[in-house]
Amino acid sequence: MIGASKRTSAQELAAATFRLREIGIAAALGLAIVFFSIRASHFLTVGNWQNILQNVSIVVVVAVGEMVVVLTRNIDLSVGSIVGLSAYLTAATFVHHHGYPILFVALIAVGIGVGLGLVNGLLVAVGRIPSIIATLATLAIYRGIDVQITGGENITAYQLPNRFLKLASTKPAGVPTLAWIALAVALLGAAVLRWAPWARDFYAIGSNPEAARFAGIPTTRRLITAFVISGGLAGLGGFLFAARFPTVDAVAAKGFELDVITAVVIGGVNVFGGSGSVLGVVLGALFVATIQDGFLLLRISEFWRLFFNGFAIVVAVTLNALLTRRLQDALRRRKADVLEARHREAEA
Amino acid sequence: MSQAARRLLARWESILVLAIIGAGIWSTTLSPFFLKRGNLLDLVTPYVFIGLMAFGLTFVVIAGEIDISVVSMLAVSVVCFAQIFDAGVNVWLAGLAALAVATALGLGNGVLVGLLNLPSLAITLGTLAAYGGLAFVVLGGEGVASFPNGYTQIGGGYLWRNQLPVALLVLLGFALLLGLLLHATRFGRYVFTIGSNREAARFSGVPVARIRVSVFALSGLMAGIGGVVYVGYFGSARADAGTGSLLDVVTAVVLGGVDIFGGAGSMLGVLLALILVAELRNGMQLANIAGETQDIVIGALLLAAIVAGNLLRAAQADGALSGRLRPRRREVVEHEAADSALPPSLET
Repeated sequence: MIGASKRTSAQELAAATFRLREIGIAAALGLAIVFFSIRASHFLTVGNWQNILQNVSIVVVVAVGEMVVVLTRNIDLSVGSIVGLSAYLTAATFVHHHGYPILFVALIAVGIGVGLGLVNGLLVAVGRIPSIIATLATLAIYRGIDVQITGGENITAYQLPNRFLKLASTKPAGVPTLAWIALAVALLGAAVLRWAPWARDFYAIGSNPEAARFAGIPTTRRLITAFVISGGLAGLGGFLFAARFPTVDAVAAKGFELDVITAVVIGGVNVFGGSGSVLGVVLGALFVATIQDGFLLLRISEFWRLFFNGFAIVVAVTLNALLTRRLQDALRRRKADVLEARHREAEA
Repeated sequence: MSQAARRLLARWESILVLAIIGAGIWSTTLSPFFLKRGNLLDLVTPYVFIGLMAFGLTFVVIAGEIDISVVSMLAVSVVCFAQIFDAGVNVWLAGLAALAVATALGLGNGVLVGLLNLPSLAITLGTLAAYGGLAFVVLGGEGVASFPNGYTQIGGGYLWRNQLPVALLVLLGFALLLGLLLHATRFGRYVFTIGSNREAARFSGVPVARIRVSVFALSGLMAGIGGVVYVGYFGSARADAGTGSLLDVVTAVVLGGVDIFGGAGSMLGVLLALILVAELRNGMQLANIAGETQDIVIGALLLAAIVAGNLLRAAQADGALSGRLRPRRREVVEHEAADSALPPSLET
């Protein structure tokens, strides 16, 4: 009896800790908003927030995929290059086939991302290459392919059909279309990660790869799936990127992976794998975009933003690790207490 | 390092030598000037700063960690050097100050990873961005290019009939020095011990925390020296110095036979791998292949090196223990996984 009640409270403790992360990032976001509202006069306008939402949308779409990879205790550095390649191919498809339906081209973009993600997954899961090295290599390789394909040319907005560009300019119900798409991806991602049994495996693999394997989870297949999801969403991100920034060249989205990883890490996804929520990632992405926008309004150099992003990663990782350690200690102490109580009971 | 690992490395180094000869023959077919003594001696000069970073990173990887912030520490060293020199300080003193700054940045990584036990992958990804931003903040977008001749000799000068590059001597000197530090001192043995089994190292009295902090500080110092040589070679300082050289640095280390999971590697291998990378890039330039396309080849080489290493090690383990149970090295890794940087690759 005691054991059962203790176990629920241990679970509650863990849940409370995870909620604390989301509250922490929400508080940081709130602080940033208050700060910029006071300092920058245009910050609290509808137009500015629509701008922020447009910027955050693409980061959210790609970050949900990145989060899945990080959950399995891996990382995908190649997403920036996948976004760039997919953005160029999306734009090129529209240039050569003006009449293709938007949805069809979006599927092509996702397909490209899936293919590139599959390569990452095979390298990591089958080739047993540490993900940081594998995706550092494919980061360079995919960008190289991008340069090969573009051949130094770029595609401008004039060459693209209007119905495609409208994706980034229309605002149903005052909210940009891009943000609606990002919201759909986030909700779908959250639902899948919450309820789909195969998606729960990502958490299991990240918490303890060995245990997950012994529990009969097909870790190789799941790991490949994680990279395929990351690649596919980066492909979709590239499609949206081309709509938002319609002048596409070979350096499009260079360094974008840093924004994505910052969003994921400060969104409270544990870099040791095994825990993290889509809500946290969305808050993290909002934080990154708010800082970017605020710095721009205050005319603070882009370089400070780079510094700030990196600094935020370090702080978030440190806090998260300390928090996780406290939680593990608390759980261990609880378990010891339960055992001791049981022991006394038996003696009495 | 075990006897078996040492034998494997020796075989790996012979393969590298063969590859260097092969790439040399390929280069000769591209240009008859390749085999000129001047060209051969000058082959590695543009890559000396990459080699110096790779030497520092070698210690970190053998200790079972990773440091991808080296390129940003190099950039900070370059801009600090330029700013301090610009302020009227003697050029050599400015160089020393730059080294001190870079070492301090490496020490920062070391404290976070070695003392707080945070994952080096996430931490150095954060400091890659933070230090990179810092470099821009220090120097801004402009460049400094008025260094005295006596100084630029370090990177771009020649001795002996004006053919022997000083930078080559610097590279070989550090290869020898760090090779001795790694292979012939107690410090080096500790680095190997920690990399092959951190828990066992702690139980046998190795000052694990201190050594782990030291390897990151050493990595910072080497990046700093790389920065000083960089300014010498290019004769100018810019905040984006070293950007894009991370792929080459990591490739030199991994292609050099350093076990990406820690515990094995040699300085000679890294030097040979650097020569191979320099030769390949030189050859591709002769063949008029663009930089980003070259990255495809180097990236593929990096991936191939790890897969080949994995296969070789597996074959060796099979050969040595045929019919018996294979050693579960994975278990050791698992114990550390909670606070280790490189996620252990998942078994099928």
